[in-house]
Amino acid sequence: MSRKPNSSRQTRAILATLLDRAQTWRHGYDLSKETGLKSGTLYPVLMRLSEQGLLESRWQDPERPGLPPRHVYRLTSTGLALAREQALSEAAAVVGDPSGAVA
Amino acid sequence: MNAMSGRWRRVAQKIVGHASWVLPGGQSSWGDAMWRELDYIEDDRAALRWAIGCVTASYVMRLAALPRLGLRLSPRSVLAGILLLSIGLAVQGYASGESSLPAFEESICDLPDVTPEIRPRLRCGTVRVPRDHARPDTGSFSLAVVVIKSAQQPSLPDPVVYINGGPGNPLTIYATYQARNPYAPRRDLILVDQRGSGRSEPSLCPGLDRTLLEANLAVAANGTADAMVKRRAAYITCRDQATRRGIDLKAFGTRVTVEDFEWVRQALGIERWNVYGESYGTAVAMTLVALHPEAVRSAVLDSIYPPDPVPLWSAVVSAARDAFFVHCAQDEACSASFPDLAGTYRETLDRLDRTPLIVNVPPQLQQPNDQARMTAPLFEVLVNRLLYFPTAYPTLPRIIQSVHDGDARGLGNLVASEMEAARMENRATNAAVECRDRPHFRNPLPPGANVMDRTQLYGVCEGWSELGPAPLIPIGASVPTLVLAGQFDPVARPSLSRHVAELIGRSARWIEFPLVGHNVRGFSPCGAKIAADFIDDPRQAPDTSCADRRPPIRFVSKAQIP
Repeated sequence: MSRKPNSSRQTRAILATLLDRAQTWRHGYDLSKETGLKSGTLYPVLMRLSEQGLLESRWQDPERPGLPPRHVYRLTSTGLALAREQALSEAAAVVGDPSGAVA
Repeated sequence: MNAMSGRWRRVAQKIVGHASWVLPGGQSSWGDAMWRELDYIEDDRAALRWAIGCVTASYVMRLAALPRLGLRLSPRSVLAGILLLSIGLAVQGYASGESSLPAFEESICDLPDVTPEIRPRLRCGTVRVPRDHARPDTGSFSLAVVVIKSAQQPSLPDPVVYINGGPGNPLTIYATYQARNPYAPRRDLILVDQRGSGRSEPSLCPGLDRTLLEANLAVAANGTADAMVKRRAAYITCRDQATRRGIDLKAFGTRVTVEDFEWVRQALGIERWNVYGESYGTAVAMTLVALHPEAVRSAVLDSIYPPDPVPLWSAVVSAARDAFFVHCAQDEACSASFPDLAGTYRETLDRLDRTPLIVNVPPQLQQPNDQARMTAPLFEVLVNRLLYFPTAYPTLPRIIQSVHDGDARGLGNLVASEMEAARMENRATNAAVECRDRPHFRNPLPPGANVMDRTQLYGVCEGWSELGPAPLIPIGASVPTLVLAGQFDPVARPSLSRHVAELIGRSARWIEFPLVGHNVRGFSPCGAKIAADFIDDPRQAPDTSCADRRPPIRFVSKAQIP
């Protein structure tokens, strides 16, 4: 039986982290530190989310002279919807409500 | 950083470089993303761990493509990945044979403003070229390449390759514009972002764009020795950053660019192509003809930028401006409104020298109070820029008169559009190429130099990198060559481009276009037609009669000053 897409622990961790400050553009290294995922796990997930239209990326000007621009990421509206749905279902699992409705 | 930590950092850079190489086509920006994060990881061992993760990620993505072929990720495929990793590292470290063969890797066309009717005609991708063509084992750079299929199919076998100016300007992002303005009927068009430009690697000093631009603007605005010293410091910072990132500045120069083009030609499976060089692109085109004549069916040199030795730039600009002033004096409408434009121009510079004019500029320039100071040197630079574009000629006398009279209205938008153009140029790449190519930038500023010369790379090149092999004029080449010259071109006077045509010899035809500046094809429908006819049949002398039939400049009179 095939697994539901984007349901791996790592992907859920990344979605939850990106949802946490949804409007903020996030860097790869910071995401790695925040989720505890190594770059070898992080980037394939980011690339897949991007391919699925769940993640948008852009180049951000450097924070100080002498450093290169950084690739930054945040969820698209579709990605946000998925992350929220996931957060709701996890919350529902905790409170034992399979409908996912949270008052 | 001690020696040991420096070594770990270099190893990390090498590994991430490999990660970038492994990634499937179309995902190269992720390789850049991984690479650039390295600069933000201060601890070298953490950087190394990051790098190892990145290479793993790249192989995972590479292997993930396998299920499409009917395979699935399994312990065996992971093992295969590790094997591939080892082989890949070995190949990259000691590359030879297959890995260094020219190849075009096609990807999705991620270009701006592509309309539905243009999209089916575009093939986008990358070609990996050796960093050092003499030593292919030293790694590679990815060049952005776009093939624009001719609107009329089937196209003829020898396409056109357009080599743009700069050096350091982007090209492939303008693919839509290029697709709408074919160089010759029934011929595909090849666009390449030259190394270090546009979407091609390497990204030289990406965080220093603004610093370099502002350092150059400061030189243009006041031209003091102090501004030149500060500019040099900015370039040295850039040089050091590039070196720290493992980029050898000897990997630049027209001779290198020419080998890149040759590599791209082979990658695309093109036997011969028609080379169209414009501005700095003429230096590349001429060198390409000199070194690889067998692969060139014809060459067009539009608005030449010849190799050294060249006259002092301020003298060239001054001659172009004088030619324009003479034309105004001979034109009834212009001379009636502006009877002594040359004198007015000199007086304007004197006045600005005493009291710079305050110009209101658009907010996007981020100037204090949205104002800028128009100094005499800056005005000289601005007038020189306007000489490039025939579209500016009708209003140029009026602009000079207005500034002379202390009226800065309308200058703000002009300054803004020039700034926008200046932002597109990669100044680090410009220096990387020019400093390899041009010995004269290593000399002190010559006597009689003015702001135009100061805006060039005097004081920058010495210490930037060693002088490289020079660009070449294809003296005596048999490749049919067309040289197009604009009457008011402030980069090379028509007399100089005629001299270059004479040096090339019997295979070259030279045509001057009255009332045109730099870039003949872009501003002269006649020039575009002559070039198209020439490319169509290079052995046939093109009909050049339209060159003398350009409509007169419709000068905006003094009375029309609001």
